[in-house]
Amino acid sequence: MSEVLKANILANFAFYRRSRLLMAFAFAFLLLTGLSSLPALFNDDGVKSFNALHQVFSILNVFLLFLAGGLGLFIISSHLRNRSLKMVFTKPCSPALWLASAILSAAIVSLLLNGVVLTCAVVLSLVWKVPVRAGLVFISADTFIASLGIIAYMVLLATLTHPAIAVTFVLIFNAEMFYGAHTWTQAAIRSGSSSVALRVLDHIFHGLYLALPMIHAYGKQTDGIDTSLRVLHGDWKYLFYSLGYVLVLTAFCYFVALFALQRKRHI
Amino acid sequence: MIIAENVHVHFRRGLLRRKLQALNGLSLEVRDGDFFALVGQNGAGKSTAMYCLLGLLQPTSGKVKVMGKTPELGSQLYQSVAYLPEEPHYHLYLTVEEATRYYSSLYRRRVSDKAINEALERLGLAQFKTLPLSKCSKGMKQKVGIAQCLIHETRLLFLDEPTRGLDPLVVREFREALREIHQRGATIVMNSHVLSEIEMLANRVAIIDRGKVVVQDDLQNLLTLDREVYGVAFEPNGSMPDYIASVEHVGNVVKASIPKERLYDFMDYTKNTGLSVHECSLKKASLEDSFFKIVKDGRAPS
Repeated sequence: MSEVLKANILANFAFYRRSRLLMAFAFAFLLLTGLSSLPALFNDDGVKSFNALHQVFSILNVFLLFLAGGLGLFIISSHLRNRSLKMVFTKPCSPALWLASAILSAAIVSLLLNGVVLTCAVVLSLVWKVPVRAGLVFISADTFIASLGIIAYMVLLATLTHPAIAVTFVLIFNAEMFYGAHTWTQAAIRSGSSSVALRVLDHIFHGLYLALPMIHAYGKQTDGIDTSLRVLHGDWKYLFYSLGYVLVLTAFCYFVALFALQRKRHI
Repeated sequence: MIIAENVHVHFRRGLLRRKLQALNGLSLEVRDGDFFALVGQNGAGKSTAMYCLLGLLQPTSGKVKVMGKTPELGSQLYQSVAYLPEEPHYHLYLTVEEATRYYSSLYRRRVSDKAINEALERLGLAQFKTLPLSKCSKGMKQKVGIAQCLIHETRLLFLDEPTRGLDPLVVREFREALREIHQRGATIVMNSHVLSEIEMLANRVAIIDRGKVVVQDDLQNLLTLDREVYGVAFEPNGSMPDYIASVEHVGNVVKASIPKERLYDFMDYTKNTGLSVHECSLKKASLEDSFFKIVKDGRAPS
């Protein structure tokens, strides 16, 4: 089984390496990040350097989250659209194994890129003479954990639907949007509105907010780390909580995606 | 080797979920060592039947057994099964060598570099090892599929329109490779529109029409479905006996056919009337003739 898993992961790495769309996306984003960080290279003010480092690091981490979504989405949609899974499932390689390899390979690529971004941040800190803070490691680990959840969620959506619909769904129907909607209905109810429809809507928005996957499940608790790059002793536990949440989410997405894949009439 | 009993498959299409019957009680049996051909018009259900046999499509009802087991995606059953799809649905981002290695690895057996190189060499792919499949011709892609059969000693090979769109030279090489695999003891199930090719390769044929097998028999039996006839060309002299059929006038010559058993009657007729005979040759029915008789005229073999 490990031989088959390894073969699939290596094939998926080749897919990522040769996917022009992913490469173009990565190149464009890195170019923008590079251009936006250019001014910081020419100032020797400590505070400005810290702000520049913070800005570059934040942008790169957002890029990693988008890229993770792309990794999960493309690996599934590309194979499904090319119908190349016919060649896999008519060999002793089950859909369960292939799907696991798809998630694992995306996670490994994401981990490597997180490592590269963290290394860049540490190098920039040294070059700009900004103290290397534990927050960099924390945020990198948190981004990787969030990436895992995004990969699993995109794998599920790509299995269920067309990639364009999957992306639209993620951009429109996400936990943050329904949290905002829930806050709005709560405010309206508190201001004296007694509409039944509003209360029903409030419950629906709250339910959807709880049901849809969150990128940073403990974002509120770790907000300070993002701005100061300082980590208090008690903050590390949130990484484990996030990991637990993401592992449950990944398992759920995996099993639903597997069910959908096995039920597909045309592989 | 393969048994399909009363297999029905229907799809739901369009907004109104209109029912589309793809297979309508298909039953067939493929014996161990057969080179079995599925023949039929476009849309007759050949590919759907093959998907059911492969486990790529679950029948709405009916039973399919391959080597005694119900085919399921990625199961151990596929340890000795290979499939070459109609369209080259390969991992196009892999090179020829990578794809051969990857597909071979999925059989859960360690494959040596030597075995891979030998298979690529045998199929004339050695010089294209580093070429991505996306840049390969259809023939080369099909050969990558064949390479696994040579590496893994396949027991059962499914081919879905394998030579469609290939040039004659590649078709010939492909045919030789298939003969080699069959001679090694593999059972082969093939879909094809090219009836002449089936005549050259297959020993058993099933003709599918509107989702069901209308005839399943040895190729030799199907070829004699329309009895052997003699094609004759002669200059007529008055009225002709009624056993002379398919009469066609070309100038003052009549081209026609006579049943094999009436040859001596015809010889007597020509001698008695002093006919000038230009041609008299034995004509065997082809699979194409039998196919048209069965599908178009609704005739079944006796």
